[in-house]
Amino acid sequence: MASRRRMLLKVIILGDSGVGKTSLMNQYVNRKFSNQYKATIGADFLTKEIQFEDRLFTLQIWDTAGQERFQSLGVAFYRGADCCVLVHDVNVKKSFDSLNNWREEFLIQASPSDPENFPFVVLGNKIDVDGGNSRVVSEKKAKAWCASKGNIPYFETSAKEGFNVEAAFECIAKNALKNEPEEEMYIPDTIDVARARQQKSSGCEC
Amino acid sequence: MHETDIHDLSDDADYAAASKQGSSSVTRSDSSKRSSSSEPEDAQIVYLKDNVSIHPTQYATERIGGRLKLIKQGSSLVMTWIPYKGQSSNPRLSEKDKNLYTIRAVPFSDIQSIRRHIPTIGWQYVIVVLSSGLAFPPLYFYSGGVREFLATIKQHVVIVRSSEDANVFLVNNFQDPLQRTLSSLELPRSLANGTPSSSFRGSPSPSDNNNQETQLDTVNTSGSGQQNNNRQRQKTQDPARDLSIQVLEKFSLVTRFARETTSQLFRDSLVDGQGQSQSQSQGQGQNERRRNNWASKDHKPLEMAPIDAPIAPKDVPVPSDPLEFDKLSLVWGKPRQHPLGVEEWSNFLDYEGRIMDPDALKKRIFYGGVEHNLRKEVWAFLLGYYSYDSTYAEREYVVSVKTSEYMTIKNQWQSISPEQAKRFTKFRERKGLIEKDVVRTDRSLSFYEGDDNPNVRLLHDILLTYSFYNFDLGYCQGMSDLLSPILFIMKDESEAFWCFVSLMERLGPNFNRDQNGMHSQLFALSKLVELLDSPLHNYFKQNDCLNYFFCFRWILIQFKREFEYDKTLRLWEVLWTHYLSEHLHLYVCIAILKRQRGKIMGEEMDFDTLLKFINELSGQIELDPILRDAEALCVCAGENGAGLIPPGTPPALPIPEASMYQQQDDEVL
Ligand SMILES: Nc1nc2c(ncn2[C@@H]2O[C@H](COP(=O)(O)OP(=O)(O)OP(=O)(O)O)[C@@H](O)[C@H]2O)c(=O)[nH]1
Ligand SMILES: [Mg+2]
Repeated sequence: MASRRRMLLKVIILGDSGVGKTSLMNQYVNRKFSNQYKATIGADFLTKEIQFEDRLFTLQIWDTAGQERFQSLGVAFYRGADCCVLVHDVNVKKSFDSLNNWREEFLIQASPSDPENFPFVVLGNKIDVDGGNSRVVSEKKAKAWCASKGNIPYFETSAKEGFNVEAAFECIAKNALKNEPEEEMYIPDTIDVARARQQKSSGCEC
Repeated sequence: MHETDIHDLSDDADYAAASKQGSSSVTRSDSSKRSSSSEPEDAQIVYLKDNVSIHPTQYATERIGGRLKLIKQGSSLVMTWIPYKGQSSNPRLSEKDKNLYTIRAVPFSDIQSIRRHIPTIGWQYVIVVLSSGLAFPPLYFYSGGVREFLATIKQHVVIVRSSEDANVFLVNNFQDPLQRTLSSLELPRSLANGTPSSSFRGSPSPSDNNNQETQLDTVNTSGSGQQNNNRQRQKTQDPARDLSIQVLEKFSLVTRFARETTSQLFRDSLVDGQGQSQSQSQGQGQNERRRNNWASKDHKPLEMAPIDAPIAPKDVPVPSDPLEFDKLSLVWGKPRQHPLGVEEWSNFLDYEGRIMDPDALKKRIFYGGVEHNLRKEVWAFLLGYYSYDSTYAEREYVVSVKTSEYMTIKNQWQSISPEQAKRFTKFRERKGLIEKDVVRTDRSLSFYEGDDNPNVRLLHDILLTYSFYNFDLGYCQGMSDLLSPILFIMKDESEAFWCFVSLMERLGPNFNRDQNGMHSQLFALSKLVELLDSPLHNYFKQNDCLNYFFCFRWILIQFKREFEYDKTLRLWEVLWTHYLSEHLHLYVCIAILKRQRGKIMGEEMDFDTLLKFINELSGQIELDPILRDAEALCVCAGENGAGLIPPGTPPALPIPEASMYQQQDDEVL
């Protein structure tokens, strides 16, 4: 496996404007939260080195603008993604309703080779707000939707408090890794493909 | 080139036709006609030199010989360089090539400086730099004569030696105290035609005396009268027009020149002895060899990069210009001026407050911007909230009418009750989006910082009111970035609103649902880069970067996130003058890219890396040099550049039938 040179895993974060995509990414990569982030215009990414089963990977996390009007830009950024993260704000119903659109839009624009099995991860963010009192999307409801879309792993997070962010991205990285194209699996020494598949179906409670 | 001329010319039907012709072919049919036309009576040849050559390629053997002349005409001095007919040193040089390089008649008022090179071995040459920032290819004096050339010029126009480089002679340099005094003595119009007052013309210098004899000689040997100097039809035959056409095709060539010829050529001359007349076979052999070199470089632009652009050391935040040579000899936009101040401003107004000469005002602001305390007043004009011919009284009236109009629109959403809002999803969503964005807009600026800041509240109210005023367009991210500086300057809610409305007249299409405004700008940008920097264009092409999405943020919000706040204010007022072009912002993009191209190509950036690199330039870009480059590029691209920008491309006013935003049946926010 030491011969393998491509160790880049590309992850795209999507979701309505203001759900906390930029905050989640920064919390994960820089362990920081600031309420001074600007609304994202265009796209940007951060990278993080991660180790997984003795292999080093570069996780390239793409943060895009949430406003639906900018979606036509997507093509340029979605291409070659290994995993797509769908984020909603548990306090905003609309942001949850949009998940379906985001997912479909992604599949159309990124046109992955195997759309049925392309890995998504869903995050319900801002669970800290108002001690959970302003919450409008229940965990149950979110999980039900995830189950209906082929058992998408689901995490509840707070980018502000850093809650569950690390765990969520670990799962995201693992799923991205699973999406490595077939030819990259031809030396089956460190990745247990079968086990990885199992994990996915179990909802990635990692 | 004098800018007012550009505007005058663009109105001229003759000019438009000619430049159209020029864009397809540089060998313009009228050139022969014009060259045969007789010189006006008062023209006098004051300097003539044969065997002055240029080298269109880096090969020493490929040269175009010609005759250089200085012609005195009334009070102005004009330079011409006409290649000899049909005695090309190399069959590969066509008549077309010759035509391309011909310098038909350049008045010294268009010349910024002359750089002299007198190598110990090899030929002397000069580079003539125009005030537009462009330079002609080096003129090699195969039979000597650089000294007389300069001495003659000195007799007729004021030139001063640069204090920084003794080999640079500055012409029309109003930065120079002496010349500034001169210019202030003269009317603006006569300045455009260039010659300082006669009392200074005769100021003796040692070299003048030495060269008297030569002077007389050259005048006597003159007489071919080949070049045109027809000043009667000055408007249509202004050299400025030729420039925009010729120079365009020259640009890439000249660039190559400046970089390669000068070094290459002298290496050749060292190798080949004096190199005056090498045997043809020897020359060919060398050509062959070098052509191969060149070709291989051509195909691998990355190998070119080191020559092109030394990579700046890592620790320098803004890399020193990778195209030092380009900048040196080509891109010399005019020096920036100090911002427009109160006193000067009052001179633009008549006693009732009308702006007497809006174009002069725009030009002034283009070159210097506006002092901060004047911005509130001046921006209202630039944005179109006030009309230039309005009086103080009329403006007062407009303000009061518009304020109540604003309140009426604002009241439309303010009167929506919570019960009503419950059943008005679109309103709630818009409001929610605006609320999220205003708290993420320039909060580190003291004007907007802190909890419950009233100015953040104003941002919110104005944006929400705008989304009712222009319900079809609604609110879109990026708008809060555009409003923030306007509110910061205008302070007043209603005035900020109406100025924002005016700005959105032009930039609205940036936020259109179909993104057509953005796409047409990115498209135009790619075309302009192709025109002005083909190696960079090719690099982007090979690396799948031709969508120019890495410039998306620059264009969407007019570089708002790329410069410090006060620099953004300066940039915007310059852009809003629409002085050289409505689309100067595209040339600003190119200016920034050009300064980074050495890095971009040298480090072989792919799309991802490039995007990140560009995003991270934010806060690292120096405004003034970029504005100067942008000006020079814009002038250089001229009509051909303008022709690449589709009609209606923002911030041009939309073409009538497309002026209404299409309401589409989707989740409109
Ligand atoms: N309380 C709380 N606020 C959060 C959390 N995550 C983000 N925010 C706030 O929500 C707002 C939006 O966050 P961003 O991270 O900028 O949202 P985004 O999804 O990147 O938005 P766009 O760039 O517009 O698409 C900001 O004011 C953040 O401070 C969270 O977990 N808890
Ligand atoms: Mg964001």
